[in-house]
Amino acid sequence: MPVAGFDKSVFINCPFDDDYRQLLLSLVFTALYLGYRPRLSLERADSAENRIDKIVGLIDESKFGIHDLSRIISTEENQHFRMNMPFELGIDFGCKKLKGGKWSTKQILVLEKERYRYQKALSDLSGSDIKNHNDDPERIVAVVRDWFVTTESIRAISGNRIWHEYNDFQAFLYDELVEKDGHETVDDVQASEIIMLMESWVKDRKP
Amino acid sequence: MSKKTSSQHVVKDDDGWAVKKGGSTKATRHFSTQQEAIEWARDIAKRQKAEFYIHGRDGKIRSKDSYGNDPSPPKDKR
Repeated sequence: MPVAGFDKSVFINCPFDDDYRQLLLSLVFTALYLGYRPRLSLERADSAENRIDKIVGLIDESKFGIHDLSRIISTEENQHFRMNMPFELGIDFGCKKLKGGKWSTKQILVLEKERYRYQKALSDLSGSDIKNHNDDPERIVAVVRDWFVTTESIRAISGNRIWHEYNDFQAFLYDELVEKDGHETVDDVQASEIIMLMESWVKDRKP
Repeated sequence: MSKKTSSQHVVKDDDGWAVKKGGSTKATRHFSTQQEAIEWARDIAKRQKAEFYIHGRDGKIRSKDSYGNDPSPPKDKR
């Protein structure tokens, strides 16, 4: 199993649906902007590899885990609970607690929409590092930035300034995808393609 | 990569809205409503012959107008 980049890799466990897309993009942007490498199951498109093996591989290769539980609760009648996110959080916790070695240094951030809401469904997490984002991309930038700064003892520009950078990236995205490439909207483009553009934009932006 | 044309942006900022220059991480001015920010920034963009972006609450571009020396006249894309 390749382990290069473990100290900079961030496993991101969140929904990939339209409803969460802007939170996902701002979260990934913040991690990239701070010099980390976001790892998402979207990046491993090999259909021969089963989903759980992909997830376990990414968790094994990542020192950091960001797990968003804000979409586990069904919003409509007769809709099922979405258990993938807490399941993958459990694997990450298990890896940290049981595998030993460098994996014991793993850092885990749990995100929720509202403060304390998770306690009703997942009370085992009480006392863990849980932050709420209120479904607000500006807020998720600040929360993720603050968490990395505290956890890693690094210096970084404020969440507000990273948010302004993210807005510049969105303007770049509009110019490239809508005006240059002819897409109807930026939402027509898959998140994995946008994240590739994000990586090169951040690389060019930062000295 | 993007063109180095000057641009003005209306972006969400805490509980209100801000106007910022493209490439800057600092707001030029804050407003309590998006409409106030749009009116102020559009005027600057026209004077500077700049690109003018209005961002939504999620950061995505809601509309863009060009006030540069474009042979095609600027049009609202809303």
